[in-house]
Amino acid sequence: MLDQDLSRLYPDQEGYFQTATCQAMLRQILLLWCLIHPECGYRQGMHELLAPLLYVLHIDLQYLSHVRDEYEDCFSDEFHGVSLPEIELSSAYRFEKIMNMNTAATDKDGSVQEKSAKVTSLDELDPETKDIFLMSDAYGVEGELGVVLSEKFMEHDAYCMFDYLMNDANSVVVMAELFSPSPSIGSSTGLPPIIEASSAMYQLLSIIDSSLHSHLVELGVEPQYFALRWLRLLFGREFSLEDLLVVWDDIFSFPNLVSFPDKANESELGCRILCSPRGAFILAMAVSMLLQLRSSILATEYATACLQRLLNLPEDISVKKLIEKAKSLQSLARDTVFSCSTQGGIPGHQHGGRRGQSLSYGSSPVTPNLLSDSYWEEKWRLLHAAEELDKENCGDTVSSDMANGPLIGRFNLPRTASDPCPTDFQSENKNVGPSDTSTRVDRNHGIYRSDKVPRISATEESLCLEIEAETDYVEEHPDQDVIVKGLDVAEESRFNADNSLSTATSPHRMVNDHEYDSEDSSITSSSLIGRTCDEANSAENPCNTSIDKDENSIASSRSGQGPYSVEKHAAGLKKWKPLSGRFQWLRRFNRGYAEGNMGNRIAVEPQKSYVVADNCGSISGAPASDPCHNSYEVSRNIEDEDKNVIGTSGDPCHSSFEAHGEIEDEDKNVAGNLRGIAKAMLENIQVIESIFKQDQGLDGSKDSKSTTISGDGQAAAMAALEELRNISNFLSACDD
Amino acid sequence: MAAYRADEEYDYLFKVVLIGDAGVGKTNLLSRFARDEFSFETKSTIGVEFATRTIHVDGKLIKAQIWDTAGQDRYRAITSAYYRGSVGALVVFDLSRRVTFENTARWLQELRSHTDPNIVVMLVGNKADLRHIRAVSVEEAQAFARKEKAFFTETSALESINVADAFTGVLTQIYHVVGRKVLAIGDDPSALPIGQTINIDMKDDRQAANKAGCC
Repeated sequence: MLDQDLSRLYPDQEGYFQTATCQAMLRQILLLWCLIHPECGYRQGMHELLAPLLYVLHIDLQYLSHVRDEYEDCFSDEFHGVSLPEIELSSAYRFEKIMNMNTAATDKDGSVQEKSAKVTSLDELDPETKDIFLMSDAYGVEGELGVVLSEKFMEHDAYCMFDYLMNDANSVVVMAELFSPSPSIGSSTGLPPIIEASSAMYQLLSIIDSSLHSHLVELGVEPQYFALRWLRLLFGREFSLEDLLVVWDDIFSFPNLVSFPDKANESELGCRILCSPRGAFILAMAVSMLLQLRSSILATEYATACLQRLLNLPEDISVKKLIEKAKSLQSLARDTVFSCSTQGGIPGHQHGGRRGQSLSYGSSPVTPNLLSDSYWEEKWRLLHAAEELDKENCGDTVSSDMANGPLIGRFNLPRTASDPCPTDFQSENKNVGPSDTSTRVDRNHGIYRSDKVPRISATEESLCLEIEAETDYVEEHPDQDVIVKGLDVAEESRFNADNSLSTATSPHRMVNDHEYDSEDSSITSSSLIGRTCDEANSAENPCNTSIDKDENSIASSRSGQGPYSVEKHAAGLKKWKPLSGRFQWLRRFNRGYAEGNMGNRIAVEPQKSYVVADNCGSISGAPASDPCHNSYEVSRNIEDEDKNVIGTSGDPCHSSFEAHGEIEDEDKNVAGNLRGIAKAMLENIQVIESIFKQDQGLDGSKDSKSTTISGDGQAAAMAALEELRNISNFLSACDD
Repeated sequence: MAAYRADEEYDYLFKVVLIGDAGVGKTNLLSRFARDEFSFETKSTIGVEFATRTIHVDGKLIKAQIWDTAGQDRYRAITSAYYRGSVGALVVFDLSRRVTFENTARWLQELRSHTDPNIVVMLVGNKADLRHIRAVSVEEAQAFARKEKAFFTETSALESINVADAFTGVLTQIYHVVGRKVLAIGDDPSALPIGQTINIDMKDDRQAANKAGCC
């Protein structure tokens, strides 16, 4: 069996693995390991874990001989008078290895060290040799480079590395376990570790991209079908050897120890792999690969096709990108450890009470096997109806809206936007009447807006520079538009989190917040402008909320303007903190989304028009900042937070309620710096315009459906732009 | 959307598993059937691999989802998942290595314990091209297959002998047994629930369908 596997090892590689020496070495190492670990025995695939290790050693060795050839003079000079220079040399490397690695201590090290001490002193005397070490290092893969370079010890080293990888007592990720058919000790699930690890990966996926997760579940794609190979071989079959070594570099660069010792014991074993940074990274890497294949997976209709894609990754896949994303997902992966430990292994979003509150609906995939397509559709319809109702009785059914929102946003967005996936849901979405469409599109805004808006308000002070830089970038990488923004959002949210008070939020306060938010959201941006300048109309309001509703809300906002708004400020600040956590999540989600759906403009396009509306809010919020910096901070926090809430809740109506209040305050303070406002507005307009121009350039490449939708959005946005310009002119005139 | 459907059209969708000891040629058997390819440098299968091919039987389009399992992963909690929902199985052995033939009894046992006992099974003696080192006689294998109520055929993935016949035979038999009434999938693939138990009424024509190998 072993021989058979070995003969089938990397047949497409350029020959090294099929050489007699290599095969003999592999066989000896594997046989020895199996004899020492009879409880494991040889399992297919182990050879493919060992082979890359050996390969690295081999390459290093080759490089050493290359260096030695080149510096032969130096070497012979160096070791002049020493009877066996080659051995001495290898000892020197060996010694360094011991210093660096401390893992490959074999019995022979004692004698080696004596010799190497001698050589090391020579080494210190002669800078030439040091250079060679340095060169070896510069070439190498990791710290042990320039180190392992003795043919004599190559096999020993490989064995030690393999053994350490397979079966280290202190490690969390023990590869041997992944090959084991029986549950490991302490497992509460009674399942083989590989299956537990696979389902831990699905848990992670359900948090990061619930729609992809539910699609896989619906197809009946069990995680172990593909994850078994991914994980057992540490992705050895999924990438070329060259790429694999890059991936392994990252995997092995993360410590493999339990990072939350207290949690590890109580948490389910399914999550235990997540307890170490390395385990978390491995699973994050797997999820990252899934996200990379997202659109392709969503396009499949049955399990086999899907699995075929999962087990035959496209060759042009960018390993660097995968790793980057995996790293960004890693911390989230580790967060799930906590959720596991608090919920008994059930994947969820209950990261403590407050975040749990905001994300609880997102955790529906907790029972993924029970969720069918029809379930989601039904759910969606119910929520949709609830929201419609909510709009009419604004303020009354608020909390349900708040609670339902995240789900709508999360679920609807990827489904709508992504794609070729021919589900009923899709077709329904595309065939709906105009009014319906606008609402759904607005939901898409929900999420996107939350990305974009903070960016704009963040850049208000240093607007020109940053925007220009960013616009350039966007023009270069139009596809990564959303990602860029997502990153900005992250910065912004961090910034705000710093600013915000760390007061704990009481449940009572949270309830209040909901009410405020709903009120806010019922006021459209158009009504705000209307009040400010009597000029704006619903043109810039992509959702057809009726005017009288707006007036209602405004009335209520007026009545509550005094102490009421102050209280609101406080509430907003207190609520910010939990939201920032969610924001981080959104960022990740969006990154995944954006990469999975490159070039899809349906959602991205109409979003532009929303920026306009939001921008108005930002601008009207700005005046407050000038007279009173402190209150500016407050209002900005609230405003961002407000948008955040609305964005997440998927409510189409945007509001600048607080900002509006600030304007009133500002009137009392005597209109100062009106010119500044005008300028800020103008700058914002420029921003929007620049985005637009770029978008128009892309119009040609869009498919017809997205063009019609985006066309509407654009028209509205352009009209809004016009209004903005008028306002700015008007304000400038006033100042004069 | 329509473009996706175009090459996904079929009347029936059958899941078939390929099992047998490591190195008997399951993967090459599959690649020969699905893509008409053969490689001497096939990596060992880790976990499970997949391929599909659509064939015509009685004017119907039958899509076969073939699960190519790893030879070593026997008797695992993991592998039981592989058998789930399969309506046909090819139990492969290497007729130049007797031990792989002897192990088919255990494979069949495992298969029966995880699937509907009436699943359509075909015993496949692969590597028929290695006639000079044959270790299992046709008669012996045939007798064993009869005892196990399975079809038998000998194939050579290398020389492309009988490979398509073996798969087509299994699929045709599934089609005949399952018929329209049980697995009327139509054009909605999601209508095939994973793990559905299908009553397969094995008929006496099994013996008639038994085929001798190429030799």
